[in-house]
Parts: sequence; structure tokens; C-alpha cells
Amino acid sequence: MAGSAIVRHVVTFGRVLREVGIEVGPGRVADAVRALGAVDVTRQEDVYFALRQTLVSRHDELELFDRAFVAWFLRGPVAPLVREKQRRKLADRIEATLGSEAGGDDAEVIGEPIELGASAHELLRAKDFAEMTAEEFERARRLLLAIARSRPRRTSRRLTSDPRGDRLDMRRLIRRSLRTGGDPVDQPWKARKDVPRKLVVLCDVSGSMDAYARALLLFLHAMVGTGRGVEAFGFGIRLTRLTRDLASRDPEAALARATASDVDWGSGTRIGASLKEFNDVYGRRALSRGAIIVIVSDGWEREGPEAVGREMARLARAAYAVVWVNPLKGNSQYQPLAGGMRAALPFIDRFLSGHNVRSLEELAAVVSGIERRHAA
Amino acid sequence: MTFATIDELETALRAADYLPDRGLATSLFLSLALEKPVLLEGEAGVGKTEAAKALARALGARLIRLQCYEGLDVTHAVYEWNYPRQLLHIRAAQEGTVSEDELFGPEFLIRRPLLEAVDTDEPVVLLIDEVDRADEEFEAFLLEVLSDFQITIPELGTIKARRKPAVVLTSNRTRELHDALKRRALFHWIGHPSLQREIEIVRLRVPGIPERLAEEAAAFVRGLRGLDLAKPPGVAETIDWAQALAALGHEEIDAQVVEQTLGSVLKYREDIEAVRDETLVGLIEEARAASGR
Repeated sequence: MAGSAIVRHVVTFGRVLREVGIEVGPGRVADAVRALGAVDVTRQEDVYFALRQTLVSRHDELELFDRAFVAWFLRGPVAPLVREKQRRKLADRIEATLGSEAGGDDAEVIGEPIELGASAHELLRAKDFAEMTAEEFERARRLLLAIARSRPRRTSRRLTSDPRGDRLDMRRLIRRSLRTGGDPVDQPWKARKDVPRKLVVLCDVSGSMDAYARALLLFLHAMVGTGRGVEAFGFGIRLTRLTRDLASRDPEAALARATASDVDWGSGTRIGASLKEFNDVYGRRALSRGAIIVIVSDGWEREGPEAVGREMARLARAAYAVVWVNPLKGNSQYQPLAGGMRAALPFIDRFLSGHNVRSLEELAAVVSGIERRHAA
Repeated sequence: MTFATIDELETALRAADYLPDRGLATSLFLSLALEKPVLLEGEAGVGKTEAAKALARALGARLIRLQCYEGLDVTHAVYEWNYPRQLLHIRAAQEGTVSEDELFGPEFLIRRPLLEAVDTDEPVVLLIDEVDRADEEFEAFLLEVLSDFQITIPELGTIKARRKPAVVLTSNRTRELHDALKRRALFHWIGHPSLQREIEIVRLRVPGIPERLAEEAAAFVRGLRGLDLAKPPGVAETIDWAQALAALGHEEIDAQVVEQTLGSVLKYREDIEAVRDETLVGLIEEARAASGR
């Protein structure tokens, strides 16, 4: 076999894949070369699967891989791999959101989020996101990071040593009983420990939410940064999973990565359809089971409210609790009359506003102490 | 048993009552050839678990299955000490005659799937089923086991696999698995089979089914997948349903029969309600046309 030619081919193809955004490390390339050594390279189908199975590890990368494969090995015409226009638009937005010096690592935030006087601080907390200046917003950002750190917890099935625990640590008991001739005199205990409960945030990023989307983006980023078990989605016309894009300590880099996800900023909302997509795709995979679901939206549904009610019912059945955050609720005149909002209300455990820092604080408190509703 | 080519493995899997498509056969073949675990992902009911079972049959190997769930820990996945026996043993012996070494020796060890798979001389296929349901701490532990195939028991020392087991991981993607684990494994996505293959699968799994019934059932389920359902049926459902239809003595499908048996294909009330009346009749007509009669 022309070994070196194959190696060259695979290495170059690996580079092509990296360019379209698939992470291909040297280990994977080495595996691909070995895989091609094991199959019949004159069979196109076998070459395709050997490369795909060694170079790709995520379902959502398969389409990119296929296009790259067609372009590279079959020299076929393909659609452009990255949607440049959309990317630019979102990149601009994010730059605007984060400002120029938004490196914001955690160290500077912890402990001293407030270098303002208490009253100025209070004012900032109460100020509507829509009315903030860039500088105020930057300060609000730090508050948001601190708030997002509180997470709801559930009891894990994992046991840890705990003198006030509720079950015996048998392994130690046996060891200690040796000394007393089999009598369990000295009893070590274990207990289940608390671990963070799954948290799923579905954030409306459509035009009507525009003024709040900036703050919520940051809030989402901070939430995802609190560790595994947090899932973030954006929705407008349709649903986009943002977890992976937001999973980085550095908000700027994280949000830049979110540019690749084509969230349809500012183009109307299909709440029912988006929730349906969530239920169908992620609910079926039990992502919502036992989770706390936080929906952030003003409830303006572009299509009929029936779908909203139906999908909310499905969601509420699987979830531990559902929280709806509506920035409009911050206005004392507000009544939940929008069709989508009204249809959703019966299935919501907590209904909160989310128009300023204080309300997001409240959200964090509710989320960390929430109990499942008992009556349906 | 070893396989020199993908074709050979494919033939062996067929002989073990499993019809893989080329991609799946390739992934299992490479997993054996490269001695790497393979991660199978896909919707529920596309035959991920079945594939591992069939691989074990084809290899003449023992299947060891570890079903994952939230809270799964070492005592259920790797080993546990048999505490009641240990206590009894101390009691039975006179005080002072039992040493700790004796008490924490192999005869008091309860071996769970991972230890079984590592500490054996026979060929083994280790199926780690629905790994996405286990929590992350366990995933990290699994990663360790899968890279060295060795397990350390403090009281007994380190046990290293004398032969690497073939490892199949399955995931329903309830969450994204850790990159490190994914790097360790080959990845194959299993989609729904083509109509022709699904008919073949039904014929294989429901021996003696009338040809026409197999074709119509497969085509009908395929039609269902095209609808907007909460839980589109997988191959497993097609097989169940075809079995039910064959057992009831049907030669073909019609509206009445389908309505009576729809519960073995669709598992949600909403879905069953969505497939009534005209939709049902339309699907049946299409299925009959597709079966070419």
C-alpha cells in the first residue's frame, strides 16, 4: 500500500476539517490512518466510514464532514461551508454586547463585585436593562456573574462518608468489627450527597426581547459556566442549542463561538414551535426529566397559542419545575394577555420578571430553593 | 474468532440474525482491528444494543452488559465486598484468628460487569449501555478503565486484562459525552434503515412472516417516521408489530388491523391520536403501493 500517500491525504483532509470547525487532533488523524490500513481503500464507502468514524465524534458534525468529504475526495461541487453573512452580523452584536474590554475573567469578579456606594448599587440593580448605558451595563454584568453561581441541588445516589449519615459504611464496619470479634461496635456512616440539579435555560432572542437579550446572553454564559448539568438554548424562529458555544471561561471567546450557531436574532418568535422542537429532540432524550426549566420570553407568539399550551404541558410533565421569566412583568401595568403567555401560564410553577439585576437575583434564589409543585 | 475483512464480519453478523448496514459493520470491524471501543449513537430503537449482542454471537464471545443510570457507582459497576458473608466469617471463626487479608480476599468479592470483563480469560464483548445516563464522575472513571483495561482494588491490588475485551458503548444523547471519552472511541451514528433493509430485518426476525405483510409493515412504519410524531418508531417497534400481525394470522394490513395493533408501534397517546382516519388510510395506501402490489 502506498502508505505515505495515504498519510499525506489524511493529514491534509484533517486540516480541511479543522477549517470547517471540526476538532481533529493528531490522535484522530493517526487513528484514521490506521483505519484506512485495515479496510479496502478501493471501496469508496469503506473509506468514507473509516474516516468518518475516526475523525468525527459528534452527530451535528456529520453534515459538515459529508460536505468536506464530497469536496475533498470526490471533487464535487458543494454549498459554502460557513454562512459568512450571518456570522458577521452576530459577531457585530456580540462585540457590541461585550464592549471592548470584556475579557472579564472570574478572578476579578469574585468577592468584590461592588465598588459602588450601596445606594448607587441599589439603583443599578433596579434599573431596567433596556435603559442602561454601556458603563452601567458592564457593572451589571459582574453582578450577574455572581448571581448565576447559585445552583439548585438534588440528592445524588452517590454515597460519601458522613458521621451524621443515614446508612452504614459496610466496608469500614467489617474492618472495625475484626477487632471486636465480629460485633459491629463502632459504626461508620454514609450519606447521599447533594449535587447540582439539571438546569435548562431556554432564552427568547427575538426582536421583541432585543433590549434584554444582551443581559440574558451574559446571564446564560455565567450559568453555563457554573458547571456541567446546565443546558442553554436560544430560540426565535427555531431552537438552537447554545451550551457548547457558551461553555468557556472567557465570555468573549465563548460568544464568538456562538457566532457559528445561527440563532435568528430579531426576527419574531415561534414559541410553540421552538418548545416543540425542544420536546421532540431533547425531551425525548430525557434532557428535561427532573430538570428545572427556565424559559425567558415575553410570550409574544407569532403563531397560534394552542401549540404553546400543548408543548408547555409536555414540558411540565417531564420537568421537575418550570420557571418563566418575562421582562415585561417588571412593568406594574403588565398583565399576561399575550396569547402565548396566557396559554403557558397554567403550566408554570413560578412566574418572574427579568428586566433588571434585582429580578435576576430573585430568579437565582427561586431556582436554588424551588420545590416541585404538588397540585397539578 | 477473527475477521480479516468487513465482508467476513458482515456475513458473521447476518448468521447471528443481525443485518448491519455497511457503516455499522465497518465501525465494528474497525473497533476490533484497532482495539478501540466504538460509541454507537442514534435514536431509540435503531438497534444499538442489538448490535453489541450480535457482535458477541458472531465472535463466539461472552456478552457482559453494564446498564448505566444516574448514580451508578463503583459498587454496582466494578465490585463490592460481600459484607454479610464477611461478618458471618468473623463470627464463625474464633476471635483473633481472622486476618484482614483473609477477609478481603477473592472469595468475599462480588464481581460486577467491569471487573468481570477485565478479569477473565475468555473472549468478551463489553456492552456499556446508555452511558449518557451515568453521571460525569462515573464517566471519568470509565475513561480510566477503557484506557488501561485495569482495575485497582485497594485490598487486592491491580488487576490487568489479559486480553482486551471488545467494547461497545451506546448513547441516546441525553447529554453530550465528555470529549476525552469520545477521543478514546470510534464514533458511529446509526440512522433508520432503508426500506429494503428494514424488510429484510423483519423477515429475518419474524421467521415465516408472509412476504407481503413484511413489506407493508415496513413501508407503513417508514411512512409513520415521515409524520410529525413525539416518538417516531424504531426498527424494534417494526419487529414487534410485525410479530403481532403475523401471530394474529394476517397476510396484509388494512385500516381495522392497523388500528387494533397501533399500540405496539406508537407509544404515546398523542401520537396514536395523530394517526387516525384519513392519515391512517393514506399511510396504508402508500404502504401497499410501496410494497409493489
